[in-house]
Parts: sequence; C-alpha cells; structure tokens
Amino acid sequence: MNEKVAIRRLATGVPGLDTILGGGLPEYSFNLIAGPPGCGKTTLAHQIMFALATPERPALFITVLGEPPLKMLRYQQQFSFFDTDRIGTSIRFINLSDEVATGDLEQVLARITSEVEATSPALVVVDSFRAVMTEAHQQPASHLQHFVGQLGVRLSAWQATTFLIGEYLSDTENHPIFTVADGLLSLKQSVHRNSMVRKIQVLKMRGQPTSPGVHTFRITGTGIEIFPAAVVPDDSGALAERRTMPRSQHRLTTGVPALDAMLGGGLPAGYSLLVAGPSGSGKTILATGFLSEGVRLGEPGVMVAFEQTPSQSRSPTIDDMVRAGHIGLINTRSPDLSIDEIVHQLITLIHQMKAKRVVIDSLSGFELAVAPTFREDFRESLFRMVASLSGLGVTVLMTSELEDRYTDLRFSPYGSAFLTDAIIVQRYVEIDSHLRRVMAVVKVRDSVHSNEIRQFSVVDGKVAIGDPVLDFQGLLGGRPQRTPDNGSAPPEPA
Amino acid sequence: MTKRGKEMRRDAVPTMLAPDTVLGPDADEVARAVFERWHQIAERLEPVIGARGVDVLFGRALHLTTKRFPWLATSAALGNSAETLKQLAARFESQEASVATEAGAALLLTFTELLANMIGEPLTVRLLGSLWKQDTPHSRLERQA
Repeated sequence: MNEKVAIRRLATGVPGLDTILGGGLPEYSFNLIAGPPGCGKTTLAHQIMFALATPERPALFITVLGEPPLKMLRYQQQFSFFDTDRIGTSIRFINLSDEVATGDLEQVLARITSEVEATSPALVVVDSFRAVMTEAHQQPASHLQHFVGQLGVRLSAWQATTFLIGEYLSDTENHPIFTVADGLLSLKQSVHRNSMVRKIQVLKMRGQPTSPGVHTFRITGTGIEIFPAAVVPDDSGALAERRTMPRSQHRLTTGVPALDAMLGGGLPAGYSLLVAGPSGSGKTILATGFLSEGVRLGEPGVMVAFEQTPSQSRSPTIDDMVRAGHIGLINTRSPDLSIDEIVHQLITLIHQMKAKRVVIDSLSGFELAVAPTFREDFRESLFRMVASLSGLGVTVLMTSELEDRYTDLRFSPYGSAFLTDAIIVQRYVEIDSHLRRVMAVVKVRDSVHSNEIRQFSVVDGKVAIGDPVLDFQGLLGGRPQRTPDNGSAPPEPA
Repeated sequence: MTKRGKEMRRDAVPTMLAPDTVLGPDADEVARAVFERWHQIAERLEPVIGARGVDVLFGRALHLTTKRFPWLATSAALGNSAETLKQLAARFESQEASVATEAGAALLLTFTELLANMIGEPLTVRLLGSLWKQDTPHSRLERQA
C-alpha cells in the first residue's frame, strides 16, 4: 500500500500568516525569516514561538549577537503574547554569542546540538543568523555551506520546526542557505513620503501553495497581524456551472421609491453600485438612505467612511444606527493604511454584523486615506476589493467625488466605472438661473432601467426625485437649452 | 498570598548573607557566601542574556554600590571577570563581618534590581526566584530545631 507522508501544519498564532502560508507552518520545516533591521523579524518569531510552545513540545530561542538579549527580553515583553510564566517551562532562551565570537562554526554547531539534545525542543529559533554568517566570512565559503547544511539536516532530523532569522539586506544575495531552507519569509518596510508600511512575502514554502504577492502587516500591542491580499478567485472552470445557475431575482430598495423605479425595480442583490457626483450633490444622503432602508427591512449594513477631519462629522442618522448596533462603522485616519487592511476589517465586520449592505463613502476619501505607496495600485486594489465583496454576496454602494466637467462624461477618476454593476450619476445644471441637481441611472447590468434625467432635491435629509427634465437638452454639457419644439427661448447662459 | 519579586528579593538576599551567631561567620565566610550566591545568579543568567549581558549589569551594580561602600571600588572596570571577583573577595574579607554582609546584600540587591528594571519583575523571578528559596544557614537551623 502506498501511504504518502502527511505533513502536519501548525497554526502560527499570527493572524493572517497561516492563510498566506497556504494553511499553516509545515511541521519540521526549516525556515528563514529575512529582512532589514526593525522590520519585525524577532517579533514574528516570538509570536509564533509563544503560540506553539508547550511544556511537552518546548521551544528553544537561541540568541546570537544581533539584538542584545537583555533588550530583546525587555521589548518583547511589551507584546501581550509574551507570557513570562512560560519561560523556563515551555520556552528556553540560550545565548551563543561567546561561541560565535570565536568564529569556529563547528563549536557553534556543537553547542546548538548539545542544547537541542538536552531539551528536545519542537521549535528552534536562531536570532540572528547574520551574525553567524558575518563571523564565518573569515572562513572559506565551503565551511559555511557545510555548517548550514549540517544545521538544516540535524534540526530536521531532531524533528524540530526551525527558524533562522537574518538581516539579508539584498534581494540578489545568493546564499546556500536559501537553497537549503524549506521556507523563506521576507519582511520589508516601505517608506513613501511620510508613511511607513510593513510588507511580508512568502518567497518559498515547500509542499504547499502559498498566497503569492506582497501582503501588508501591522505591529500592535498584540503583536503582528497580517492582512492577506484579497485574491480574486479564478472561476474559469466554474463559469459554465455559473451560467446555468439562476441569478438572484431579489432586488434591494434604496429608500427612494422613484429611484428604485429608475433602477428597474431596485438594485439587484449582490450588485455594486457607483454613485458619482460633484461635491454636495447628495451622494452621502443617498448612501445613508440606502443603509436606513436596509435597517428598516432588517438587513444590517456596514459603512466605511473616510472623513479627513473630525468636523466632517457623520450624519446623526448614521450615528444613531451605529449606536443602536444596526450598522457597523469603519472610520479610520491612519496614515499608513493598506487597501488590504481595510478590506480585511470590512470583511470581518460584514461577517460579524451579518451585513447585507455595504457603503463606501467615498472612494476619493479612500484614496486619500491609503498610504501613498498604494495609490499607484489603487485601481487594481479596488478591483480586488469589489470582487471580494461580490464574492460575499453583499450589495455595495460606493460614492465617488466627480469634478464637474462639461466637456467629457466621466463617472469616476479611477476608471472604476467598469468594475461596478450599476452607475448613478448626479450633476448640477443651471436652469432658469438656478442651480439644480439632476440624476440619471447610467447602467444596471443585465437589467432594464430608466434612461431619464430626473431633477432631484434633498428634503428633510432624504432624496426626493422630481420630474424628468423634458424641456431641455444638453444638460450634461452644462449649457442646457430648451428643446426647440417647446417653442420658448433657451435660457441665457450665466 | 506569596511574596513576589521585589519583596521576595529584599527579604531573601540579606537573610542568605546575615551573620549567624550560631554558625559564627566571619568576613571570610560572608565573602564566600556572597560569591557563591553571585556565581549561582550568573550561572542562571549567562545562558539567557549572555556573559556580556551579565558583565554589563554587574559592572553597573558594582558602580552603584561603591557609592555606599567606597572600599568596593576596583582599579579597573572588569565587569564579572575572575580578576574582579578575586579583588572584590579580598576586599570583603578585610571588612567587619556585618559591614561585609551589608555590602554583599546591597551588591546583589542592586544587581537584581537592575535586572528587574530591564526585563521586568516577573521574568526576574522566573529566572532567579528559586535561588531565594534555597537553603540558607537560617533555614537549615530552623529545620533542625
């Protein structure tokens, strides 16, 4: 009988890490954590160690120069995962700086061997391995290669899951250790203008499909939290199956009956709707009404707001609904946000609230809120976000600030219009020397919808749709003229 | 409730070194007790914080204790080296037993306090706590009685 070996995958205790590793850390794997100083390598190793170590399966943390152990113990205690009661029973710290200082790699190997044999640890961390390499530079390369090979083989043979931490600064650095290692985690800090963003990448992990690409992470009092980049599932195989599945016939009401009629009977469930319009046109009011209507019908919602200043306060309606627990609110002004972090928070809140409706108000605020380094990829990230939300089955309303232009018709500055299933555009037009608001439904995918341009106003905090503007043409060009068959003279331009 | 950390150290260290009229220690015995205890502490800490970490803290503890006991001043800042310890032992032996005890307790207490300031009281207790509970001349006598 052919029974293949089953590799047990360990839960690392680092939120998000198991996901990007492809299901956890392979037991007995030999891993490298690489990255420049201060990027969180030691913290990551500590967090994993505290999650995995038990008295029966203890951990051995070997410090080798690098960060002085006194300071490491001092600072690592600031994290909530650091449990001093487990030092000595589940976790042992060993310092090998004296052995390393001799430059004799055989002595270092012998000491590691004796320590591992004495305690039979299930987890071994060597921090930092660069110190070993620096000392070993005095010696022929073959010695180091032999040492690395020996260490890797011995640690695997002792049935220990191992981490070597190293400050490998260069991407092109080619070292035998990279070949020997089963896993390679690369941590980076990306500084762009005044924001700093931490990024992690699984460059290698034998035997399992990892999440490709760069993921952002944050270090807080509880340790490291990784925000796996949203992945748009490849459904090319499932396409035929999907075609045969009936599309949900359910439509969501927006709280404005006349608008529902314009949309062809409400917004189809699971759709994403872009409401584009100039400042003050009533996008947030429409979005708030969409959430209120959901609450009225027992459909909880989530609002993602990006107010840049406290004075841009939310409407009392939103505050009331948040206080009553009917909707969840994400409002952040952190300067180093990644889109993946927001999506992660959003998805967590959607599950928590069992939300059916999501409002992102606004994409313009969102773009300002994310760290500058992500702005280049904003459109691509937006695509992934919309796809992720669509996968959850929630109905999304996004607002987008639209500069009033009368020479071209654009619905959003991100080219995001094609990403959404439905588009409503709002505009200011001048009629009879008055600034009036008009609204039109531009698109509702796979659905009939009105093509009228309707006047609307905001009455008591609610959108009230008026009559179609029948007497004028050229409204969207900003210079409306009365239709000739009406007989009256066109209004004079201002 | 059991005494933890600071209180435990403050109570235990002088007791371990206290001149015991029954056993009649002189300054030589006090010196031996101080350095025996010191070796135990260093032995526990060196694997964790490294010999250099222990050296640095010991040097600082000695510097601070010298303010109260100027006769402890050594010619060179040699940290925890055998040479320093030998010089220090000789100085302890040349003192009155009570003064040597007080200085020894102050040195060990200052060291453990510096350590606790760096790595926190719980971890200090975790690493060294069992030393406070070990046999002392007093505890041995109490048991015999």
